[in-house]
Parts: sequence; structure tokens; C-alpha cells
Amino acid sequence: MRQIELTINDKAIAVADGTSVYDAARIHGIAIPVLCHQHNEMPVGVCRVCSVDCGEKVLQASCVRPAEQGMKVQTNSEKVKKARRMLIELLMSDHPSPCARQQNSGDCELETLAKTEGITAPRFAKRISPRGHDDSSLVISVDHEACILCDRCIRGCDEIRHNDVLGRRGKGYDAGIAFDLNRPMGNSSCVSCGECMVSCPTGALTNKSVIKTVLPNGTPVGVEEIKQLPFFQNVSGTFLELNANAVIKRHFKAGDIICREGDYGSTAFYMLEGKVEIFLSTPMAHVATGGGVSGFLSKLTSRLTGADKRNSGRTRPHAISIDASVDLAYDNPVAGLGAGDLFGEMTCMSLYPRSATVRASTDCVVLEMLRNVLDVIQRNKTSREKLEVNYRRRALDDHLRTVPLFSSLSPEFIGSLASKVELVRLSKGDVICRQGDIADAFYLVRIGFVKITEEHPGGDLVLAYLGKGGYFGEIGLLTNGVRTATVTALDHVELVRIDGKDFHEMLSLFPAIARDLTAVARQREEQNSRHMAAVTGITLDSFLAQGLMESNSLLLIDLEKCTRCDNCVRACADAHDGVTRLIREGLRFDKYLVPTSCRQCRDPLCMVGCPVGSIRRRNSLEIVIEDWCVGCGLCARNCPYGNISMHPFEVMVKDLAEPAKQKAVVKPKATSCDLCAEHAEPSCVYACPHDAAHRVEPNEFFRTYIESATADRD
Amino acid sequence: MRIDRSHRSWAIAALAVFVVALAAYVPYAFGSRPAGGTAPGLVYGVAGYGMMVFAALLGVRKKVPVWRLGRAQTWMRGHIWFGLLTLPMILFHAGFTFGGPLTSLLMVMLFLVFLSGLTGAAIQHFLPGMMKSLVPLETIYEQIPSVREQLRGEADDLGRVLFAQPGDILAPVTVQVLGGVDWDLSGPKGVTMVEMEAEDRTYAGNVYRNTILPFLRNPDDGASVLADPDSAGKFFEALRRKLPAVAHGVIVDLESICEEERQLTRQRRLYLWMYGWLLVHVPLSIALIVLGGVHAVVALRY
Repeated sequence: MRQIELTINDKAIAVADGTSVYDAARIHGIAIPVLCHQHNEMPVGVCRVCSVDCGEKVLQASCVRPAEQGMKVQTNSEKVKKARRMLIELLMSDHPSPCARQQNSGDCELETLAKTEGITAPRFAKRISPRGHDDSSLVISVDHEACILCDRCIRGCDEIRHNDVLGRRGKGYDAGIAFDLNRPMGNSSCVSCGECMVSCPTGALTNKSVIKTVLPNGTPVGVEEIKQLPFFQNVSGTFLELNANAVIKRHFKAGDIICREGDYGSTAFYMLEGKVEIFLSTPMAHVATGGGVSGFLSKLTSRLTGADKRNSGRTRPHAISIDASVDLAYDNPVAGLGAGDLFGEMTCMSLYPRSATVRASTDCVVLEMLRNVLDVIQRNKTSREKLEVNYRRRALDDHLRTVPLFSSLSPEFIGSLASKVELVRLSKGDVICRQGDIADAFYLVRIGFVKITEEHPGGDLVLAYLGKGGYFGEIGLLTNGVRTATVTALDHVELVRIDGKDFHEMLSLFPAIARDLTAVARQREEQNSRHMAAVTGITLDSFLAQGLMESNSLLLIDLEKCTRCDNCVRACADAHDGVTRLIREGLRFDKYLVPTSCRQCRDPLCMVGCPVGSIRRRNSLEIVIEDWCVGCGLCARNCPYGNISMHPFEVMVKDLAEPAKQKAVVKPKATSCDLCAEHAEPSCVYACPHDAAHRVEPNEFFRTYIESATADRD
Repeated sequence: MRIDRSHRSWAIAALAVFVVALAAYVPYAFGSRPAGGTAPGLVYGVAGYGMMVFAALLGVRKKVPVWRLGRAQTWMRGHIWFGLLTLPMILFHAGFTFGGPLTSLLMVMLFLVFLSGLTGAAIQHFLPGMMKSLVPLETIYEQIPSVREQLRGEADDLGRVLFAQPGDILAPVTVQVLGGVDWDLSGPKGVTMVEMEAEDRTYAGNVYRNTILPFLRNPDDGASVLADPDSAGKFFEALRRKLPAVAHGVIVDLESICEEERQLTRQRRLYLWMYGWLLVHVPLSIALIVLGGVHAVVALRY
């Protein structure tokens, strides 16, 4: 290559033709301060801190100015120093000194330069309009206030990692870096490789400090060892170094319990070696409605007197959804996992309780990791593909069959469908589809919870919450091709997306499914219409303040008739194995007492987060808690009215230490009013001798009440 | 049970039965000397006793609230209206005479049961509404003792805020015995003391110790100035005038606690009225049923 000769600071040097002035100086040990340039990125010359005097009319940005034959460059003349100082002072005027990086590691490049230049207090006023922060990413904190728009992060993302997530947005005072189309970083396609953070010269992009980064009970895993694992390929080594203790290796002997159902946690597990057994240790039981002799007789008398049993809708499910790549068969809730399997994702990402107990079947080695590491794995393309392959091979078939409507699909069709479905990953708040959009896909929920809402003048109406095993999108595909509701991710959600074309192909090949799906769609539409009709009734501030209008079925006690005999409470207890689900105390409205008893809310917050999907709404309005409840108590905490209680009861379970024996343990189970679905009327209402207790639909009841009150007044 | 329009059909049916029974009794009474042993007398007797037994079965029905044997309110209405009809039926059966010792006793017991039942029906018609109005802070009756305990604890915390000395909160536990009450001056963590002069603080402490605390210990004591709402209102008003404005918030809270105590006392009294009459009605009813059976056997056999 042709060599050219030039002088820098009166020192004669020779470099290859095409070398920039900056590189020419660097090669020959002459340091030129710079901010926007890194040697492994294309120079762009935006910061101008590297400006040098090349003997031309204006100073040149040395990082982009090619050296020329005979050029005389001054990097530290008074003119250059003055300009450089001014630039740094201007940059410092908007810089939140000390920034996060300066505080954590003391190596913010801008502040280091400012210190070198002796700039302590810039003369220029700070900008008035704030640029904000973005803490949506689990891994990287974005402080736009500290950003100097050097674009190093953009070039790191594009040129080095080829992820093409970062870019520029706005202009002038509004200019800034942006992820995708200016989405929050955590909701963007960012793979959390950490390259932007590593590239950033200031504290604009910093590694998030993780609380309790040091995981206990394990051996920290070295970066090199981690990078050998398939899941961690292409993850930034710097990121792994910064989060060295967020992933540890744990060894379990056969029989050891790795995690227990119902426990809260914040980690996920990746199997390196060995096999584990995953099961529900809580017995299939709950505080039954009408158990024992009394229950038998009450049901008998109910049948003899011809009282119609309301649709119980308590169909036994095929499988119980858990937080792993397998589901547990209802009749035998045990499954196995082996090397390469990941479990505990929901607990780790969304902090839900553990959904099952995991016990080592053989000696095994697992990696336990915190959320930021799991997030990186899930976003990393390579590991993501491996996870998806695993899921398609192991669980997709079963998952599709957990939808009762798909149980009759042929294995060949399931096989062909498995290769066509798309696994979609969403963050909290992401809108999956909007009401009115063209319906182009059918979705199954694989992980997490989604909220289905319909537009309503007074605010969106929540139609349902769906967790793992739930499905949506069929109404739009079956009817006029337009979405009838908006579906939003409530937390970390993964969906199985079946394209509309494949969906219609399935319906044409399996007409029985088409018929059943149409029936379900019609049923859902009717339910939604009923909900909408109810909500468009009278709105009263006091009712709203007490949340009464949010209920589908309210138990009211007329205090002018009630003699406080507690027959209702006794009846409830008698109907439920001695455990009452009704407490005759609560708020009052006019002459009515609203006791503490499930209101069958339209927006059942209690259903969100159940790790095993045991709290659900039947096709009628009853919210029921099934017998595989693991007793974590999340639903009880979620209920804003305190209508779900945890009831301890003694059961015999296998002694894990001595499998041949059984031992008595106390297991809590959630209980709430299920409107005595086994009978035509709730027991509390039936047993009230004074006509004081009633279950009402609040909108209709209060509308009639107000009309009559108004008529009386008139 | 509130006797309202929903009882109309029952009332009409009961009236119709009474009218029919009366219409049958009049010619019977004028045609011959009415007695329990005559055919019509026996019919009236069986009908009356049958109604008594049905009315008594309400107690059994309540023991099995979940069994689907008819709604509890149906049984209650039947109890009331059939119960009302038993008196005329038995009077028609007895021909408005008392007869021998057993029958005289039965008649007296019948009247007592009838009158206590009427009283109970009236009480349970009016008292629920009264309780709703007079006891807005009503709680579950069995929970009254524990609610009272909680109120005492809250009052103690408020009291300490009023008159604890600056060093008391961090000081070791000082136990004082006041009429059997152990009083802990160590104070709860995080309690904000009201800033007052020492003289005011002493006054507040004395008022709490001598008036408020004894009332809270024994809220059923009618002699306390705090037992009556009007005098309690005046008491707290006077306290507010004596203490600085910074203490008024605490005084309002103490006043609310005392009001709640009064309401709980009221609730207990009303509840006793609501169910006290059953102490007469139920045993007498059982005795009436048993003796009525004895009378039937004796009268028919002998």
C-alpha cells in the first residue's frame, strides 16, 4: 500500500494512504481526545472533540479526515485547545455530572476529558426540557440526559452486532437515540447483548445493578465456561462479566428438591445434565361444595324436589399448565425434564409463584439464573431458536391438544402445524391485536397472561384474562375478519401464533372443529354482549367507588329484614365442608350490607398470575378454584375486596424422605364463593329465613331500585 | 321476619282458613255443646296440633340449612301464619273452655306461646330496621369482644400520643397499674407525639386515665359521662377547648372510638331483645308439643 508522509505536532511520520489523521496520530503514539469514535467502528465525526488544525481554513475532525501527503497537523495548538475546551464545556453543560458511569466506575469519558481540561462548572445553562430515562430493559438502563449523541451505540448495534435496533430520532433539541421505532428499550427487538452499553462513552447506557446479584447455594460460572453453552453463544462477554454472579451452577443428588410449588422465586433453571421429575405435590382436593353426608343428602333432596342443577361447567381438563416446556396430565400430574430443558421462566420473568415441585430423578447439574440473564437468553437469536426447537419438539403437540377443540386433530396435521406456527414473544403492555384490526391469526397462550378488552364509552371493558392454555382470535377469523376486542400482554407473554391461512385450512380439513369453534365464538359473543349491556346501564358514583358495578353477581343482605341470625353463614359452612366462604360483614349501601363474598367480578383480577391456572371462570359467570390449587395465595392477595381466603386443611401426602410412608401435612387452599353451582340457588340465599339475603345482578338491581326510589319521591 | 306485602298471599290464605273454620264452628257451636271429643272438635284439635307441629319443625329445618326441603323463608312464613291459626283452632277444639288440669295448663301454655310468638314477630319486624339506624358501626355479634379489644388498643395508642413525655417513647417499659390495667409507657414505634405544654399533657393524661380509660374498660357502665352521646359530646367539646389545636385530631379520634363503643353496647342490647324472647317461646313450645301429645293420647285412650 502506498505510504504518505505528514507531520503531526512537528513530528514527521509515515502512514498508509487512506489512514485518518486520528489513526495516524494513534499509531505513532500521539493521543487525540475523542468521544464519538471507537477504533472498531466507522468514524462519523459528530462530536468534533478530535478536531485538529490541518492548516486549513477550519479545524478538521481527525477521525474522518484522511491524512494527506505533506499535511501539517497540530493537535494541541492554542486554537485547537480553545475549540476543544469549548466543545467539552458545551457537552458538560447538559451532562448530569456525575453520571451513572462516573459514579459506578469513575470512567465516564466525557467527565474524564472535562477534568483534564479543568472544567468543573460549565458556564452555560442546562437545557430546560428533560430528555428522560428508560428503565424498561432488565439489563441496561438508558439515561437520555447523559447521552451526547455520539452514535457509538448505534454503530455498535449495527456494525458490530448487526442487530439494527438502535437509530436516531428527532432533530435539534429533540434529537436522541431510539430503539426500533422509538419504543422503550425493554419492549423493542433489542437482544440485550450489551454492545451498546459497552460502546457508550458516558453513563447514557449502563448495566443495571441487580439486587442480590450473588445467587446463593451454587458455584459461580466463569464467562468462558458459560460462553461454551449453546444458549449463551453470541451474548456479549462484557455483559456476562458484569453479571458474573447472576448465573450459578448447582448440583443436585437424586431425590433432592430443586423447587417447590407455591414458593415464590426469581430464578429460572436450565438443565445441563441429568433428569428431573416435575409434579404437583398438593393433592387434587379443595374445600368442596357439598361434601360428606350432609352434602350427599342436600344434593339428593335437591334432585328429588326437582331443583335443576345449574350448569356446573366443571369439566375435567386434559392437562394442567405449568411453568415448563411440558404440561401435566390431570390424571397423573407427573412429567420429566432433561438436559437442555428450561423451567421456571414465568417465575423468573414475572415473579409468579412456582407452579410445580421439581425433584431430581438422577444426579443432575443445573444452571440457575436471574431475570436479566434469562432475558438475554430469550432475546438472543441463537438461544431463542434452540428454545423454540425444543418447545416444538416436546410440548407444542400437547399444548395444541390442551385446547379441547383441537383434540381431534390428526397427528399428521399437528405435525405439519407445529412447523408452521410462530412463537411470539411480548413484554408487559404490548398490544397483540386491536379491536377493529384485520384478523389474521389465531393465538394460544404459552406463557404469561393476556387481557382481553372491548371499547366502551366510559373506558375499556375487560372481557377476560387468559393464561397458559387459553386461546383467542377465533371470533375475528370466523366472522367478518375483524378483531372484536383488543388483547394486551399483562406481563412477559409468549404466544403460539397460527396464521389465518393455516387456521382456515385446519377448519376445512376438520369440519367438526369448525362447528365447535363457531359455537364457542357465538357463546363468547353472547357473553360479551351481556357484559356490554350490563355496563351501559346507570352509572352511580357511590356504586363505582365501592366497586359494586364491577360485579356480575352481588350478595346483598337487607339490613331491615336481617335478624343477624347467621343462618346464611352456617348454611355456607355446611355446604362447604365446614368452611364458610361468606363473612357477614362489609360495606354498606343504603339499607343493604354487601358481605364479604365473591362478587364474580367482570374484571377478575384474582385470575391473573395463577401459576397453575386453577382459578378460572366457567362458561357461566362463576369463578371457581379447581382442586389443583397449589395454595400460593396470589389470588387472595390480588382480590381487591378480600373475598378469597386461604383455608388450611390436613391431607396425607407421600413422605419424600420415606416414599413408602405417608405423613399428614397442612396445605392451604384458596376458597371463594362459587354460587353453590351444585344447586339451583346459593345456599346462603336458600337458607335465609327472613328473605334478607339475595344474589343480584347489580346493574339491573340498582336500576330498578333507583327508579322505584325516584317514583316514591315523586 | 319483616311482615310486608310479600306475606299477602299467606295472610289471605290464613284468613280464608280461619273464615272457613269459623263458618264451620258457628253452626257446630249453636247446634250442640262443643267439646274436644266430638268429631268437629277432633278435626279442630288435629288441625291445630298439626299446625303446632309444623311450626315446631322450623327449628329442625334450621338445623339442616343446606337440605333442599323448601326455602327457609317458606318455612318461616308457614311458622308465623300456621302458628297464628293454632290459637283459634285449639279454641274451636276446646269449645272456648279450659277443661281439666292438663287442658287448662295446655291452654295457658298455648296463650303464652302465642303471645311470646307475637311479641317475637313484632320484635323481629321492627328491630332490624332500628339496629340498622342506631348502630351504623355494627359488627358481627360474636366479634364484639375482640373489636372492643382492638378499640382499647387504638385508644391506648392515641392516649400515649397525647400525654407521653418526650423521653417516654425510647425509655424502658414502665408499667403502671391502674385499677387492674397494666399501662405500658414505652409507646409504639413511629408514633408522633403531639407537641404540648407539660401542663396540658398532664391534664390530658388525667382525663384519659380517669374518664376515658374506665369507660373503655367497662363500656356497659351507664354511669359514665361517656355512656350518653350528648354528655359525651359535651365532654369532648370541653376537652377540645382546654387543649391546644394540635391535640384536637387525637381528641376527635378518641371521641369516635367512644362512639363506636356506645354503638357496640347498643348492638348488644338490641341483639338480646332480638333473641331474648326465644328463651320463653322455645321451651314453652316444646313443652306444649309434648304435653299436647300426652293430652291427645290420654284423651283418645281414656
